[in-house]
Amino acid sequence: MTRWRLTAFAAAALLAVAAVPARAQDKLVVDIWGGNWRDGANEAIAKEFTKRTGMPVEFITGGTIDRLTKAKINKGHPESDVTITTSHVGYLYFSDGLFEKLDMSKIPNAKDLFPVAIRSPYTIGLYSYVYTPAFRTDLMPKGYKITSWRDLWAPEVKGKLGLPDFDPSHIIIVSAILSGGSAANWKVGIPLLEKLKPNIKTFYQSDATSQDLMKSGETPVQVLLSINGFHQISQGIPITIAIPKEGAVVGIDAIGITQGTKHSAAAHEFINVALDAAVQAKLCDLYRCGPMNMHAKIDPALAKLPGVFTTPEQWKSEAIVVDDETRAKLLPVWKDWFTENMMH
Amino acid sequence: MKHRVPRRRPFFLAFLLPSLLAAGLFLAALGDVLQYSFRTFIPGSLDVGGFTLENFLRIGRPIYLSVLLDTVTISVLTALFTLLLSYPVAYALVRARRDWVRTLLIILAITPLFTGEIVRTYAWILVLGSNGFVNSLLKDAGLITAPLSLLYTRFGVTVALVQFSMPVMIILLATAISHVDRNCERAAANLGAPPLMVFWRVTLPLTMPGVISGTIVIFAWTMSAFSTPQLIGGGKVLMISNLVYLQGLSTFNFPFAAVLSLLALLVAMGSLGLIRPAIRRLERRVALH
Repeated sequence: MTRWRLTAFAAAALLAVAAVPARAQDKLVVDIWGGNWRDGANEAIAKEFTKRTGMPVEFITGGTIDRLTKAKINKGHPESDVTITTSHVGYLYFSDGLFEKLDMSKIPNAKDLFPVAIRSPYTIGLYSYVYTPAFRTDLMPKGYKITSWRDLWAPEVKGKLGLPDFDPSHIIIVSAILSGGSAANWKVGIPLLEKLKPNIKTFYQSDATSQDLMKSGETPVQVLLSINGFHQISQGIPITIAIPKEGAVVGIDAIGITQGTKHSAAAHEFINVALDAAVQAKLCDLYRCGPMNMHAKIDPALAKLPGVFTTPEQWKSEAIVVDDETRAKLLPVWKDWFTENMMH
Repeated sequence: MKHRVPRRRPFFLAFLLPSLLAAGLFLAALGDVLQYSFRTFIPGSLDVGGFTLENFLRIGRPIYLSVLLDTVTISVLTALFTLLLSYPVAYALVRARRDWVRTLLIILAITPLFTGEIVRTYAWILVLGSNGFVNSLLKDAGLITAPLSLLYTRFGVTVALVQFSMPVMIILLATAISHVDRNCERAAANLGAPPLMVFWRVTLPLTMPGVISGTIVIFAWTMSAFSTPQLIGGGKVLMISNLVYLQGLSTFNFPFAAVLSLLALLVAMGSLGLIRPAIRRLERRVALH
């Protein structure tokens, strides 16, 4: 009898141990950048998702390119169920078959989004930010202001401008617009771009370097990510972020479902939760960015910030939006041209 | 009674196998880079297209030749200045009579090795920046009114690379200096050679193996420097590794990044090949002494 009991106990223990990994697998894995991006998504989206579904969320993190490369290597056997990345990088994911097509009937909150949020049949925008000119008020001549992108070409900016080296698209698109063109026929802006060279002091390689250069005053004028600017202003650095009359170049971070996921239904629900008006308000409060859900009740202080677009009118008059396909396909060409002609 | 004759190289196979494995892995990776270099880049895709020679034709553009020239120039200057600055430190380190002086020199010379490249490079940004240590000092002394451009210049990159390379050079030179037979120096002194002559005709030639290996090591590793030119050069001074990064991980143009990698490898090997005859001549001269 004792032996029988022992055997039964051992069998039960084995079953319990075997059940643990099965339960542990029943989680949603989200691929995102580290640091504040992961923390914000956890606080605003993941907690609400788990509250609604009972399913835990695990984050895996990395840089934009590392994650894309990893997704490509793991094609067919994805490590994650959901991926959050920049919308034009999202284009690279789905054009390489790394995202599955979204079933919009499972994302009812999508009907409340600004039209710009629907990036493709595979990706939906989560929030927006801008790349726009900004300057240190204490380090530029008194009365200096930026009302147009053209002001970056002014003699006062000579040897003071910092631009990102990882993405020259903003200044290229704007130069094309100022020259009467657009992103698609960007070459019309080349003569103007070449005239900007004397004003460029250096090129920053990351958000951290951008902030260092602004803080130290090494580049008191920058084309910067609005979110970085808000963060530095909150630290007491006197920075003015401008929205030029031509508009600011919008960036949208998008969400997609990894091809081959075993949790497609949960992944759709995660996206739906992320686009919920209340979740969007919380997410934007954490990131200091603009919502994609037009009904999101954004804190008025946040809504006042430059580049935080909360109305259709703002999207129309203050935003320069380039479609993801054009940007994804032209970015390598732009970078090549920029490296060969503007840097070094 | 028979004595067992010991094998001449008892661990030869055991040591050879890991080396062959490492070489195999290196060659496999190199082979992959080589095949990528002949493939067509497709903008907006992570995949590559068919075979082409276009990537190789592109390296003839002035920007790439200029970056290549900069890379070689900066590497040569870094190797030379590192040698000039490290030799006295290594000499003092080996010949200091007091233990505490030796300990102090070891700490000063070797500690930077443990701080990491990024930290040291950031320190140089603080030193060379517009409001950095050097400019503030010169401004306070009334020598300048506007800050000097030290960052984002070849000068700044070379200075940071020299400081980064010094600990390794000091270790290599100190080893060479410590192997010098002091009796040779004493003999020269006894024969009437003044201290400078002893150093020039005896010590320096005897430490030439260290000088040569140190210079080659620093030249070769500066050829592949990435973080320092990336941060101190700020895109205004590009070295070949920065271009590889921009092409591969920023533009996704893996085929052209592969061509640049191969080019860097060939230039590094070619430069070392060119240095060899000079080294042999130098070694022969040293042997004659």
